Amino acid sequence: MRQLLFGVAIALALAGAGFAGLYYWPIGTEAKLTVTKGDVQRGAYLARMSGCIACHTDADGGGQPLAGGLKLPTDFGTFYSPNLTTDPENGIGEWTVEQFAKAVRQGVSPDGKAYYPSFPYPFYGRFSDQDVADLWAAFQTVPPVAEPSRPHEMVPPFNVRAGLKVWRALFLQSGPHEPDPEKSEEWNRGKFIVEGPAHCGACHTPRNFMGARQANYSLQGADKLPGGGKSPPITSAALKQGGWTIRSLQYALQTGIMPDGDVLGGSMGEVVRDGTAFLSDADRKAIAMYLLE
Amino acid sequence: MKPSILIVSGVLVVTGVASAIAHGGATGIVKDRMDAMSSMAKVMKSLTAVMRGDVAYDAEAVRGGANVIKSHAGESMTHLFPEGSGGGASEAKPEIWSDWQEFASLSDQLKVFASALGEAADKGLEQSGAGVGKPGLGTMMGQGGMMGSAPMMGNTSDMAGSGMLAKMPVQGLFNRVAQTCSACHTKFRIEKK
Repeated sequence: MRQLLFGVAIALALAGAGFAGLYYWPIGTEAKLTVTKGDVQRGAYLARMSGCIACHTDADGGGQPLAGGLKLPTDFGTFYSPNLTTDPENGIGEWTVEQFAKAVRQGVSPDGKAYYPSFPYPFYGRFSDQDVADLWAAFQTVPPVAEPSRPHEMVPPFNVRAGLKVWRALFLQSGPHEPDPEKSEEWNRGKFIVEGPAHCGACHTPRNFMGARQANYSLQGADKLPGGGKSPPITSAALKQGGWTIRSLQYALQTGIMPDGDVLGGSMGEVVRDGTAFLSDADRKAIAMYLLE
Repeated sequence: MKPSILIVSGVLVVTGVASAIAHGGATGIVKDRMDAMSSMAKVMKSLTAVMRGDVAYDAEAVRGGANVIKSHAGESMTHLFPEGSGGGASEAKPEIWSDWQEFASLSDQLKVFASALGEAADKGLEQSGAGVGKPGLGTMMGQGGMMGSAPMMGNTSDMAGSGMLAKMPVQGLFNRVAQTCSACHTKFRIEKK
């Protein structure tokens, strides 16, 4: 009996120490940018490509652009996208460009907390310093909206944000864009877009029980998307088998029309409407080329 | 009867057969509306080739195709979705009936754009590529940097008067038709694939 009590006491002590350690465990690295001057137009284009506007705007609920509030129901709880306007109290008006860089590329908030991976920062790790500076410049043009961000409603134990540090240690894979020197510039542009800003894998790569993407099944399609949808595989083999060509894929990303005359619906309908329809023809072609070749 | 009308009609027959196979399991009104959707898909497929310039432009084919879509839009569409006709083989989301007004409004929009496309058929393709109606960079930015105003978000101007629609080039109207299909499928179709 005494041994058992002793064991329990040790376990509790370890858990306590572990929890405290978890709480103070620093994450991320200091973000220093080699460029600080950004281009608003380029940044706005990148924001569009990255889905910032689509996800951080509750358009159906009549929300202001980038004021957040869009609901994302998942197995782990319900996320609400935060306010990204320049409002100093409720948005990111008080942030520095370094804090912004750390948030976007590393998923770490200015107060050192980990963001949930519902925010696709692991993809945004592909952004160059110039990309970040451009985005920052564009975000500076967003009118402030004094609307508080709605807290996420997580299912325990996922409400313990410190647990995300463990998640990061186990699953986080990110890093800068690595072009393939064997391939064309166009193909590499597509690689950057698909693996970075467009974060195709967020929906098209299946996730494990902890919500982490399974690299071995990259772009092979997934079910249980937020809201219950499914995504088809978009590997080269699957696309070719489905009759896709660079031309038809490029066109589908512009108009939503698929090779059989059907039109993309579901969340991909939104992706086209709010995202890829706004891209340049060259970028749509680069995406199609990377996916197919 | 013009040859192109014959083609469109022939296409419809073939489509009917194909969709009977593709939509196996559906019966009654669910099958009827799936067939109607397949007819429109067939038109979209053939007109895509026209719009991209893969085949020679044929005003009659564009008009015929637009008429097929128009004939399935508006109330013709909504009549095929009586309350309680979801579930089973149907790909209709229950939101159709909980948000009927939106569903009906998209059906009407489809009719408006398809009509305009038919009326614009004689214009031929816009060569410059300008004003094709795809949202461009400018739309995203508006005047004020990132945000601009409504164009980025909504489509309240979609129901703009027919005067404005009449000025739009053929490809732009075709894209509007496709965007309307997509908007409706995004909200109201279960993606089974």
